[in-house]
Amino acid sequence: MNAEARTYQKGEIPGIIGIDADVCKGCDSCKRYCPTGAITGMFGAIHSIDVEKCINCGQCLINCPFGSIYETVDTVDTVIAKLQDKSVTVVGIPAPAVRVAIGEEFGMADGSLVTKEMYGAMRKVGFEILDNNFTADLTIMEEGTEFIVRARHALFGEEAHGHKVGPLPQFTSCCPAWVRYVETKYPSLIPNLSSAKSPQQMAGPLAKTYGALEIWKKPPESIYTVGIMPCTAKKFEASRPEFASAYHFLKKEGKAGSDTPYPDIDTVLTTRDLARLFKKMKIDFTKAGETDGGPLAEYTGAGTIFGNTGGVMEAALRTAYKVLTGNELQPLEFKPVRGMKGVKSASVTLMDTKYGKEVTVNVAVVNGIHGNIEPILEKIMAGTSSYHFIEVMNCPGGCVNGGGQPIKSGGSSWLRAALPLFGWK
Amino acid sequence: MKEERYQYEESPSYVSRREFIAISGIVIAILALPAVWIRSAVVKRNSYIRARLNGLYKDDAGSKVRVSHGNSGVAKLYKDFAGHPLSEVSEELFHTQSYVNRTRI
Ligand code: SF4
Ligand code: SF4
Ligand code: SF4
Repeated sequence: MNAEARTYQKGEIPGIIGIDADVCKGCDSCKRYCPTGAITGMFGAIHSIDVEKCINCGQCLINCPFGSIYETVDTVDTVIAKLQDKSVTVVGIPAPAVRVAIGEEFGMADGSLVTKEMYGAMRKVGFEILDNNFTADLTIMEEGTEFIVRARHALFGEEAHGHKVGPLPQFTSCCPAWVRYVETKYPSLIPNLSSAKSPQQMAGPLAKTYGALEIWKKPPESIYTVGIMPCTAKKFEASRPEFASAYHFLKKEGKAGSDTPYPDIDTVLTTRDLARLFKKMKIDFTKAGETDGGPLAEYTGAGTIFGNTGGVMEAALRTAYKVLTGNELQPLEFKPVRGMKGVKSASVTLMDTKYGKEVTVNVAVVNGIHGNIEPILEKIMAGTSSYHFIEVMNCPGGCVNGGGQPIKSGGSSWLRAALPLFGWK
Repeated sequence: MKEERYQYEESPSYVSRREFIAISGIVIAILALPAVWIRSAVVKRNSYIRARLNGLYKDDAGSKVRVSHGNSGVAKLYKDFAGHPLSEVSEELFHTQSYVNRTRI
């Protein structure tokens, strides 16, 4: 799209979101939802997106009342071709938020939980399943452990074995729009990002190593991984050139099966894309039948709430509490981080049994980074922030309201609902 | 253009008080409309977000295991393959050191 894009690495897709100049009415609605001020255009004139500033979140897309914003990448037909190719094992990786939204595309009520139906339809068209909730649990193990290492380093001066320890506060890193936001606007805070990859980017290498060799018994190079995401920024994330770790890992052991690096995640479909794929393949979602997802679809309640704002924090606290105190958190629900307030904060005091000392952990949860995150980042840079762990999700409400989800308030339906009001004279 | 301005200056005297109130009412209604419309759209927006949030909390509440360290599949993955969190294999496959300062590409 833009050959001279400056804020993109070689191989990355520059700009996932575009505005169709023929359809845009210049109503200015999209600007209010954009977290980075990437949209330019006067009221009444055709608007356009600055790809250097854009973080690919898709919030403008799901909120444009005229449906004039589109995704530049559509791989539904590619995935269908892969599904029909018998020499390829296509692994679908559905994110938490997909199972409470895809039903809406088939006439079900908002928020219907349809995990089993989704598995059923996916199996029917030929997907193997690696539930992204499984890697959400894995993320908690990795990111939670990383947090404990960072906290013990900061509080007790504990040294980590062999790798450098990042500073506090630790930021979550599962939202690629947020990661790109830090990378483009606050690069000095990059060390605060958790080094844990997002659940999608853990799932890719997992499928091509452990999944291929131990579970499906297929050559790694014949695995085709498809992230199924509520998110447009995930399409960008998958194209980051460093995410070919399965290839490099296998190469060392002589098991890569190819001399050209392959990506950890081959392609990404949004929730809307997956619904379109089912429709194209003539699957009646509501009648596809319910099935289990197989060995890599096992997940816990902590993994599934990753799609909600506050969910990653709540899941991390449940596990950190157990690791530090030896006991399970009671009750498991951690209410202060729930709900739709832009910034939520809480403190937890617990006993670190290893050191026999009480520690108080201050956490914050930010959703909808537009207007909410900057004051916090300024404080961190000034050294006056008291937070230790901060969860950030770009989209208001979290991934359940991601840019790849079924469109509710946008599209012409939103406008049509208001039109009768103009009818009076 | 000129004629219009002329009319604009002269016409108020031709509008009766009743008519003026009626016109004002219409003008105010038109001005207020976008606010009402936006508010109702925002309320609607929150309602579907809330429904989805509740859907996932329901999934959590109904799960037999509700903590990540209780996921037996993940435990097996560590036992058979990755070792433990932050192990060498984990660092290689599940972590990244490649965040880039995009102001300097
Ligand atoms: S919301 Fe849609 S129609 Fe309105 S200015 Fe933005 S792109 Fe154009
Ligand atoms: S995708 Fe997100 S960052 Fe990009 S223009 Fe749209 S709202 Fe702004
Ligand atoms: S909050 Fe979730 S859906 Fe939104 S950009 Fe981040 S990862 Fe994607």
